[in-house]
Amino acid sequence: MALKSTREAAMLAIQELAREDDKIVIVSPDSVAAARATKFREEFPDRVIEVGIAEQDAVDIAAGLATTGMKPVVVTYAGFLTMRACEMIRTFVAYPGLNVKFIGLNGGMLGGEREGVTHQFYEDVGILRSMPGVRILTPADGQQAYLAAKAMMEVEGPCYLRLGSGREPQVFDDGTPFAFGKIREVKRFGDDVALFASGFIMDRAIAALEQLHADGINGTLVDVSTIKPIDDEGVAAVLSRCGCAVTVEDHNIYGGLGDAVSEVACRLNPCRVLRVGLQDKYPRSGKAAELLDAYGLSVADIVAVAKQAAAK
Amino acid sequence: MTVDELSRIANRLRLDVVETVHDAGDGHPGPCMSIADIMAVLFFDEMKLDPANPRWAERDRFVLSKGHACPILYAALARKGYFPVEELKGLRSLDSFLQGHPDMNKIPGVDTVSGSLGNGVAIGAGMAMGCRMQGIDNNVFVIVGDGEEEEGIIWEAAMAAAKFKLGNLIVFADLNNHQSGGKVTELSSLYPVADKWKAFHWHVQEIDGHDIGQIQAAIAEAKKVTDMPSFIACKTLKGKNIPYMEDNNAWHKRVPTDEEVEIAREALRDKI
Repeated sequence: MALKSTREAAMLAIQELAREDDKIVIVSPDSVAAARATKFREEFPDRVIEVGIAEQDAVDIAAGLATTGMKPVVVTYAGFLTMRACEMIRTFVAYPGLNVKFIGLNGGMLGGEREGVTHQFYEDVGILRSMPGVRILTPADGQQAYLAAKAMMEVEGPCYLRLGSGREPQVFDDGTPFAFGKIREVKRFGDDVALFASGFIMDRAIAALEQLHADGINGTLVDVSTIKPIDDEGVAAVLSRCGCAVTVEDHNIYGGLGDAVSEVACRLNPCRVLRVGLQDKYPRSGKAAELLDAYGLSVADIVAVAKQAAAK
Repeated sequence: MTVDELSRIANRLRLDVVETVHDAGDGHPGPCMSIADIMAVLFFDEMKLDPANPRWAERDRFVLSKGHACPILYAALARKGYFPVEELKGLRSLDSFLQGHPDMNKIPGVDTVSGSLGNGVAIGAGMAMGCRMQGIDNNVFVIVGDGEEEEGIIWEAAMAAAKFKLGNLIVFADLNNHQSGGKVTELSSLYPVADKWKAFHWHVQEIDGHDIGQIQAAIAEAKKVTDMPSFIACKTLKGKNIPYMEDNNAWHKRVPTDEEVEIAREALRDKI
């Protein structure tokens, strides 16, 4: 199955499920095109609730829908969703535990790239991770996004699916499983250092692991596609084996994967955890690959930080 | 139910609020009094409810957008039979299910979380859509304050509800011209408020929010309109029928003394 992007893949999954479940609806604050939901709308014109450019309204309407037993999926840009409608997600969905799903587009610098800071969202995971009861999925490519979207719809209660720009490379083979709440070892050369990566920069983490191997450092790469609830046992087991770790994410170093893994390390297996991500600053406009390179997310950066961690 | 009976229920709820806030030692009594008559009509005359089955799918829905007025919602639910009246005094205490603002999971009969101002119309719109999509023949009633209409999301929701022609959504506005920090007319340019909702393509009526007959007639009229959401602008008096609370914003959030409870009982003695 060739899935061009995380956006198309996730929406295809929702559309397939909607054929079996007439309670599934999409709530869109002018995001149908961005979410690649035009095909969904063609098939289910009455099940796309277009509210206009109004994210707070979208989330509250979804909350109201969910109280009646509907299964709304709110989809829009990650930052407008989690920042502008932050309180609505927290108070009116997460607090009562309503069955509302959220899909955030343009996650990370990579998503917003040339648009600049207003459209680059690297706080979304941190914001939502601080809310009790919100699960967070960060699939690495289109195929994983398809499976993650299906897994999200199977669980009851609020869940956030982080998607990207729609131009992500496929990094995993077809048939690669997605397990809600579980980490997955992508490749293991050895236990010199653990690389925990999530989301659409998995290709860079893979390249870094290979480069480290070529340089004589044999590490293990782990895909953390569920950031909350984090797979405590799985993460701790890898930490125990490797004794040091690097996290790799297109998110601020505060609040996201880096913190989640560090927290597991503190509680279950104290060891050195270094974080590759946006170093708590506002980036700028630029082409996607150049932007990541410029802000500390190049393959060379990951390799250098991993060597630092492995030096112990 | 007759107008006189409903008026007496409204005053019973008012006294319940005074006693509840006194016993609990916390809460917002003033904002409850201005909606007492609307609450009495909705809960004891109008809404299709089943206290024995609070989540009955076919029921009418209710959203108290101005959630700080929950003492009167809790009083209405207790008097309606959702839980014993004796539970009211537990308001806001750790061992009670009666939360400081409405909680849909802890309190039987509450349909949504509310209390963060401005959100009730959007949530009500979602409920109205969800019921309509599932073929449920009911209405969603929302009470908003005037102050909270300063929130931007109110107008986002006003646009969406009109776009979706939510004829099953009926919003009452409690226009007592007070908010936490003072007079609405001094703090904002909300008024003339009815004109704004008309401009947003809502069916708008303007009534006396303490006239039971007018409230009933406005609901009947609103239910005839099936292709527009309804906004019922209710002129009200904050603190209504409690002599020391009337039009006195000091009672937005304040606990009555033993003596003040007695004054309220005396004032309402022949009206309950």
